Amino acid sequence: MAKYEPILLKNMLQPGYRGLLEEYRAVGGYTAFEKVLKEISPAEVIEIVKKSGLRGRGGAGFPTGLKWSFIPKDYPGPRYLCCNADESEPGTFKDRQLIERDPHQMLEGIGIACHAIGSHQAYIYIRGEFDLGAEIIQRALNEAYAAKYFGKNIFGTGFDLEVVLHRGAGAYICGEETALLESIEGKRGKPRTKPPFPAIHGLYQEPTVVNNVETLANLPYIINRGADWYAAIGTPKSTGTRVFCVGGHVKRPGNYEVPMGISLREMIYDIAGGIRGDKQLKAVIPGGASAPFLKPEHLDTPMDFEAIKEVGSMLGSGGVTVMDESVCIVWAATNLMEFFHHESCGKCTPCREGSAWILQILRRIEGGLGRPEDIDQLIMLCGRIEGKTVCAFGEAEVGPILSTIKHFREEYEQHIREKHCPFRPNAKLVMAH
Amino acid sequence: MSELIKLKINDKEIAVEKGTLLIEAAKLAGAEIPHFCYHPRLKPDANCRMCLVEIEKVPKLQTSCSTPATEGMVVRTDSKTVEEAQHGVMEFLLGNHPLDCPECDQGGECQLQDFGHQYSPQVGTFEETKRVFPKEYFGPLIEKEMNRCVSCLRCVRYCDEVIGAYALGSMNRGSHHEIGAFARQELECEYCGGCIQICPVGALTSRLSMYENRTWQLKKTETVCNYCGDGCSQTLEAVKDDLTRASSEMGTGRNGGDLCAKGFFGYGAVNHKARLSRPLIRTNEKELEVTWEWAFNKAVDGLESIKEKYGPQAIAGMISAHCTNEEIYLFQKLMREQIGTPHVDSSARYGYINAVAALNSVFGTARLVKYEDVVAADVLLVIGAALTESNPITGLKVKQALSKKGTQLITLDTASRQRETYISHLPNLATQHLQVRPESEGAAICGLMKAVIEAGASDTAPPALVDKVKKALTAISFQEVEAATGLSEADYRKAAKAYAGAKRGVMIVGRGVLRNKDGYQNMLRLAELALLSGQVGEEGAGILAMAMENNAFGAVEMGGVPEFSPGFQLNEGDKKGHTFPEMLEAAARGEIKALYLVGEDPFRSLPQKKVAEALQKVELLICQDLFPSQATAMAHIILPAASYAEKSGRFTNHEGEIQKVRMAIEPVGNAKPDWQIFSIITNKMKQKSDQPYSRLIGYDSPDAVWKEIVMSMPSTWSQGAGGDLSSATAAYADRAEISLSIKKPLDANGHFYLHVGQHLFHAGKLSTYSEGLLKLLDQEMVLIHPEDAETLGIEEGEVVSLSNGEGAAALELPVKLSKKLGRGTLFVPEHFGTAAKALLPLTIDATTQVPYGERGVVKLSKRSAG
Repeated sequence: MAKYEPILLKNMLQPGYRGLLEEYRAVGGYTAFEKVLKEISPAEVIEIVKKSGLRGRGGAGFPTGLKWSFIPKDYPGPRYLCCNADESEPGTFKDRQLIERDPHQMLEGIGIACHAIGSHQAYIYIRGEFDLGAEIIQRALNEAYAAKYFGKNIFGTGFDLEVVLHRGAGAYICGEETALLESIEGKRGKPRTKPPFPAIHGLYQEPTVVNNVETLANLPYIINRGADWYAAIGTPKSTGTRVFCVGGHVKRPGNYEVPMGISLREMIYDIAGGIRGDKQLKAVIPGGASAPFLKPEHLDTPMDFEAIKEVGSMLGSGGVTVMDESVCIVWAATNLMEFFHHESCGKCTPCREGSAWILQILRRIEGGLGRPEDIDQLIMLCGRIEGKTVCAFGEAEVGPILSTIKHFREEYEQHIREKHCPFRPNAKLVMAH
Repeated sequence: MSELIKLKINDKEIAVEKGTLLIEAAKLAGAEIPHFCYHPRLKPDANCRMCLVEIEKVPKLQTSCSTPATEGMVVRTDSKTVEEAQHGVMEFLLGNHPLDCPECDQGGECQLQDFGHQYSPQVGTFEETKRVFPKEYFGPLIEKEMNRCVSCLRCVRYCDEVIGAYALGSMNRGSHHEIGAFARQELECEYCGGCIQICPVGALTSRLSMYENRTWQLKKTETVCNYCGDGCSQTLEAVKDDLTRASSEMGTGRNGGDLCAKGFFGYGAVNHKARLSRPLIRTNEKELEVTWEWAFNKAVDGLESIKEKYGPQAIAGMISAHCTNEEIYLFQKLMREQIGTPHVDSSARYGYINAVAALNSVFGTARLVKYEDVVAADVLLVIGAALTESNPITGLKVKQALSKKGTQLITLDTASRQRETYISHLPNLATQHLQVRPESEGAAICGLMKAVIEAGASDTAPPALVDKVKKALTAISFQEVEAATGLSEADYRKAAKAYAGAKRGVMIVGRGVLRNKDGYQNMLRLAELALLSGQVGEEGAGILAMAMENNAFGAVEMGGVPEFSPGFQLNEGDKKGHTFPEMLEAAARGEIKALYLVGEDPFRSLPQKKVAEALQKVELLICQDLFPSQATAMAHIILPAASYAEKSGRFTNHEGEIQKVRMAIEPVGNAKPDWQIFSIITNKMKQKSDQPYSRLIGYDSPDAVWKEIVMSMPSTWSQGAGGDLSSATAAYADRAEISLSIKKPLDANGHFYLHVGQHLFHAGKLSTYSEGLLKLLDQEMVLIHPEDAETLGIEEGEVVSLSNGEGAAALELPVKLSKKLGRGTLFVPEHFGTAAKALLPLTIDATTQVPYGERGVVKLSKRSAG
């Protein structure tokens, strides 16, 4: 495991490390927060983060420093930071571990970010199902408050910061940043129409930054070790490390922190130990359920934002789902569509209605009742969703369908031709809206 | 005027105001953009995705309903890409839509039909089964058909953004998404009908007219609602002479298209089967149907003979403020000019006269502010007004004002602030609520005046007034005010500071002041308070007094009260006749021999015994009304009148806006509009002619009457608001005699303080003839605070007995718990019976003779077992 130096997972990999404040402090915890409050102006912090090349780890990969700089400089009213800990993307489980095993590095990151954007109120929006995570964050918050890292007049600098933990109630859409804001406001979690973006009208219509757990956890290290150090890791445009969640048919599933830009092949065959039962690789989703499928021919693609995008997928949330030759691709697409249909919030027409029609057609094909024209209809339906929805959910749900048709069209045709699933011959047709 | 920008839509260059949404800009460019969720009344939500357009240099299609036009933008609404997107959304919406257009009440005025006609793909591609929701209802009046829903959320957004009732919400997700009653099984709302009005499809429709008609068969008439003084524009829709719907077109009228339960669901009274439809004559205790010819002759002969025998002063008339301006004008003209009696009054006497008389006295006009000023105000002081119940649309204007950041609302009322539902209750929205003890409004007003004066009166206040008030206030200490009202000095100082410091302060005065003890004096004090605070005469600042009846303002202005001839010309000495309570006294004394009651049943407003005594004594009682009543049961001649839907004319709302009423249907049976009846009687008396009455109408329409009114008005008469008030206020300040004192706090002696008033779903007696409103509330009940109920061991629904210990018959009513009441108070709606009022003492205003009898102390006891 010594091949790459872990940053975010470093502490928790030490035997006996439980993520308590004293342990975190012993490895230099909260020194970066103290440093920025005492020595580095908000504008300079933003410059450092811009220079480090840090990009959002939630999915879209937007440059963090740039996002911060959109907050109006001389805005007189309050502004907010929201930590997006609503990790719900199927196949993604990195934030959960960062929260449960080393919560303080995220909290310190929150402090640094708040200083940078001039926020005195931060919210941590944690996924409803993360009972343990919520408990751990609350405990860490209590510790940090007791140590006066949060509250009034932090480090005697006059800087005030309140951090509140807000638990979600189980909707995937609340991970979408504007739906997350609605949810914190006590409303039903539904994405807002953008523009305006949260940086201008966010939480309670005030300027707001929403950052992912992993993004924030990087900040103390960037401050302490410098932007140049960070920018040197990874590739020039995708800097730093990334915690990838490797799952599916691999021998050693788990979270692995590696510099961005290593190949998919290295990730699957070297780090995760290869395919279980030494079977053939059939497909891989490189960035969570929303990312289009890739094929074995893409194994040598570097895992950075640009390269993965170039081959038609996205690095997304870092959830790498590996599928071996025994997997029915139509079934896999149907399975994902079941998820998206279930989680479509119902706000906008294309996603609300489209997800149901697509799912019905997929179920029919998988159940042996497909028609030759179904494949083109799926493509057409996806086209009616893509780019026409309120939020990125629309692109997310059509990604798996379009990519599986693109890469595995023959398998769809086989289902239709043979009137049953070649992998699961006894698959029953499940109808119902 | 804000900045203009130029952009191109479909190659056409147009200039629009900066910030205009593309969907609106496209209209100007002559391009229609199909849409469902967009509505000018609501904030953009961009959820239907029907209005996508192509903007040059923007990679994705954009929703035109949420994108503001910017300089140099190049937009296409008609490209192939846009068309494909429209086809996509349309097919998604139609995919699950049922084929029930032939029976859907929205058919013919459905946006899905209209846009579907032009923007659907030629061929449908879905072959799966449709999603089906079970049929449900939102309460007794709203049909919910979710299969037809396009999930545009207009209903939810209207309820949240405009009404603030938060009754509706999204339920479930994805394709199972539907509209539901938020967090409750049953819909708990104000039944304003707004969700039905704003629904673009047939998902929400009215159960009152369910499956009855096709919309294109309905005849639409735009008129003005006849329930309260808000003066809402209302569209009545009828098949032949049957009203089947009421609505208000968005953006029209003083209400901007918003209605309340009464305006939307209350139209049924017009077609009620109990309506009087033929003239009746009482002979030998029997009512006999007669022809109009006969009835007119009888009435004219009766009036003439009494005039001859006892002189014109023996005749008196009382008209309802529900009548039109033309009718009230003709009635007072008949009384004053033709018969020659000064005794003419209207139902404005029951309280609104206090406002008009006081405001006229202080400012020389009662037209001070408009709804636009309410909306623009930065501080609103609402005194004794349960607006959601009495004047819901004025209430909406207050809410609209509150949507501006920093707007302050100060409420002064006996009601308590506690929130039990989202149904609007102004104290809940107030930045400061002054909850005063019953009957201490006068003391609270003194408290406010004292706080304003001590902080320094406005420079604009007449110096003489400041001096007089200062002098009068020396007799008053805050301790006394505190003891009477239960509020502290600091409360008054805070409220006074906010109100006097406002840029545009608007005061709204309601029934709690106008229809209760010392109403006239309290109204004068409030007018003075506004002057001292500098909140009148300035732009957008002033006072708006709430009228309970649709034409109370007009009734006074048209001379339907003894103290004023038309145009607020003051009558003095002999010219000032009896007020209605005085008429009844005079009748009981035998001085008044003939009484002409128009739309008025005094038994509902005044003590039964006194009224009966007076009515029995008169030799001629003419009742002209819509429905039989206790009074018509004693009348010698009963004339059936036309309802507001059956005639034309003008109503003046409480802003002083004069608006046209238009005939939607023919009068029921042989009923006639009041103006025709008055005109015929006048002409018959004048000409002493035997011609058939139809040749004696004189005026060919209410417009001809209005022309005469306008021509005959004094030169000082102004229909507009405001103007320079300084000479009027200075004159008032010079002649005013102000003495202030704090009445002893009311002692209920451990009993309850009963308040009889208006319920959210009713207005007067008229609404109890409406089928729709009866479905919302069809019986009397007594409201009590839950904690009081618990102390007494009373449960919701239990029948209790109310009595006054003075011999009036005890009243048994079921209990309903409500936290909105103050502790120690009870509330009974006034619409059904008169027994609750009979328990309460009656006092008459010393100046305006307004009878106050809505509040008093009663004993509440559990019904004895068995």
